[in-house]
Amino acid sequence: MNVPTSHLLIVAAGLFTIGAIGFLIRRNAIVMLLCVELMLNAANLAFVAGSRAHFGAPNAPPGADGVVFSLFVIVVAAIEAAVGLAIVIAMYRLRRTVETESLQELAG
Amino acid sequence: MQQAYIDGLRAIRPEIALVATSLVVLVADLVTKGRDSRRMGWLTLAGLAATAWMLVGQSNSPREVVLGMVAIDRFGGFFKLFTVLSLAVVTLFLLNDRRERKHGIGEYYFLLLGAAIGIFFMVSTNHLLLMVLGLELLSLASYALAGFHKSERKSAEASMKYVIFGGLSTGIMIYGMSLLYGLTGTLDLARMATGSELASQISANPLPVGLALSLILAGFAYKISAAPFHFWTPDVYQGSPTPVTTFLAVGSKAAGFGALVRFLGALFLNDEVQGAVREYGGRIGLLLALVAAVTMTLGNLAAMGQSSLKRMLAYSSIAHAGYVLVGLACMSEAGFQYALFYLAAYYFMNLGAFGFLLYFEGVTGTDSIDSLKGLGFRAPLISIVMVAILVSLTGLPPTVGFYGKYLLFVEGWNSDLGWLVLIMALNSVVSLFYYFRVAKALFLAAESRRQVPKHPVLVGMVAALGLATVLFGMYTAPIEDWAKGSMDLLQIWTGQG
Repeated sequence: MNVPTSHLLIVAAGLFTIGAIGFLIRRNAIVMLLCVELMLNAANLAFVAGSRAHFGAPNAPPGADGVVFSLFVIVVAAIEAAVGLAIVIAMYRLRRTVETESLQELAG
Repeated sequence: MQQAYIDGLRAIRPEIALVATSLVVLVADLVTKGRDSRRMGWLTLAGLAATAWMLVGQSNSPREVVLGMVAIDRFGGFFKLFTVLSLAVVTLFLLNDRRERKHGIGEYYFLLLGAAIGIFFMVSTNHLLLMVLGLELLSLASYALAGFHKSERKSAEASMKYVIFGGLSTGIMIYGMSLLYGLTGTLDLARMATGSELASQISANPLPVGLALSLILAGFAYKISAAPFHFWTPDVYQGSPTPVTTFLAVGSKAAGFGALVRFLGALFLNDEVQGAVREYGGRIGLLLALVAAVTMTLGNLAAMGQSSLKRMLAYSSIAHAGYVLVGLACMSEAGFQYALFYLAAYYFMNLGAFGFLLYFEGVTGTDSIDSLKGLGFRAPLISIVMVAILVSLTGLPPTVGFYGKYLLFVEGWNSDLGWLVLIMALNSVVSLFYYFRVAKALFLAAESRRQVPKHPVLVGMVAALGLATVLFGMYTAPIEDWAKGSMDLLQIWTGQG
């Protein structure tokens, strides 16, 4: 079965949009971090799709750059989640909530 | 192949020295169980000195590209040396911050050095993958640094806001890169700019190309706190420990500019970039001009009403990002060169201003401008130096800030951006009001009765930085030549790997 590249890109754009909208309308820090993960995975899908489309093209380097990039993005996403969740936990210990609306110490 | 590998390792010896220093600091802190964090600070300074020495030794060697990824050139050297300088200043701030003693842990230095490694790689690569990885290394270290006082609500809040919005910007930027990769089939900016793909895609698919570039630029805008992605800046800068704020406002922001200049320069201003792509660069320049106008206006207007000096400096740093963007918006070699000059000025001015803030936080315990009233007579030297730095931040002669702004004015005018130059001039007038408030609090009030402790190291550092702002304002040639020499990134090269 050969899925056309445009379909993959549409799915990626959909994932990215869902992530972006979720980030904008949800106020829970953990859900917001989840939405960021969704956006990163949309990028991954687009990278892999692009890599497949360009594989063997005359101008492209022999290595499949896009696939390698997506592997790195997976690592970056994992690290970001680790750091982000650690910070969220530190926040929870101080205020007993992870709703971003409660973040009002700094404003003006 | 093996010889190339060994030569490559030799070329990136400053980076290797930094990595080694960071690991030594981390392990040494573990072994001594964090009892003596001051020694870690001195160790960090030694490592930075070694790195700077290697960078200076490298500055005249011919340009080379390590394994098709890391470009060792004078442009990278410019930002690397300034990064080392700002990091050394921040380390000395940490060692002399009396409020920092109880938090003094070796991880502080480890995280700072990690951020510097990220900066080193992100300013010296034409490859999008390495750029993202450097940016992420910098960001992740910064998130942890912003929340270093994790038992303080402000610090925790700052780091949470930073990590959430930082994550968003990373997501946006990487998605933009994935689209750009899909369109052109390469991640190497030089290859992308000179290949036929980008030029044909610009005419065939203008919308996806515009979307991809806008998304990537949005990621950069977050890092340099340009509108409309500046909203995190005041909160994060105010909540973070002051030495960390210094690093974020100076080192991290200038590095973001370094990567942005490299991105734009490699893609649109390279010697061998032809018609369609170069024309498209002009349009991107117009977009940047709009962003610059909005950024500096927002930053300056918001800075007017601030009662906290730290928050005011945060807004002022947003405004300065707008000024630097004027140079980039010109989309010419001279414009980029003057942006670099202004960044050099920015390093000196803001390091000094934050040193002043740190000193008076130690004295008064708060960062409000009102608490400075009449202290100018109690601590005359540092206060007079601060006034000189404020003059430079406003952009009045005879300081380096004035000359930097003058260069940007001229190049903006020559590039048909007269309206932008006008907005910039008006903004400079506005900024005079809030910078003057600090000077007024210091000297135009009854003498304070507060006892001011002597603090020779901090005062001396601020004095040296203030001296540099005035001195380089009168003898501009060294930095000007350096910025000119750093434009070697615009000569074409393609990776050999």
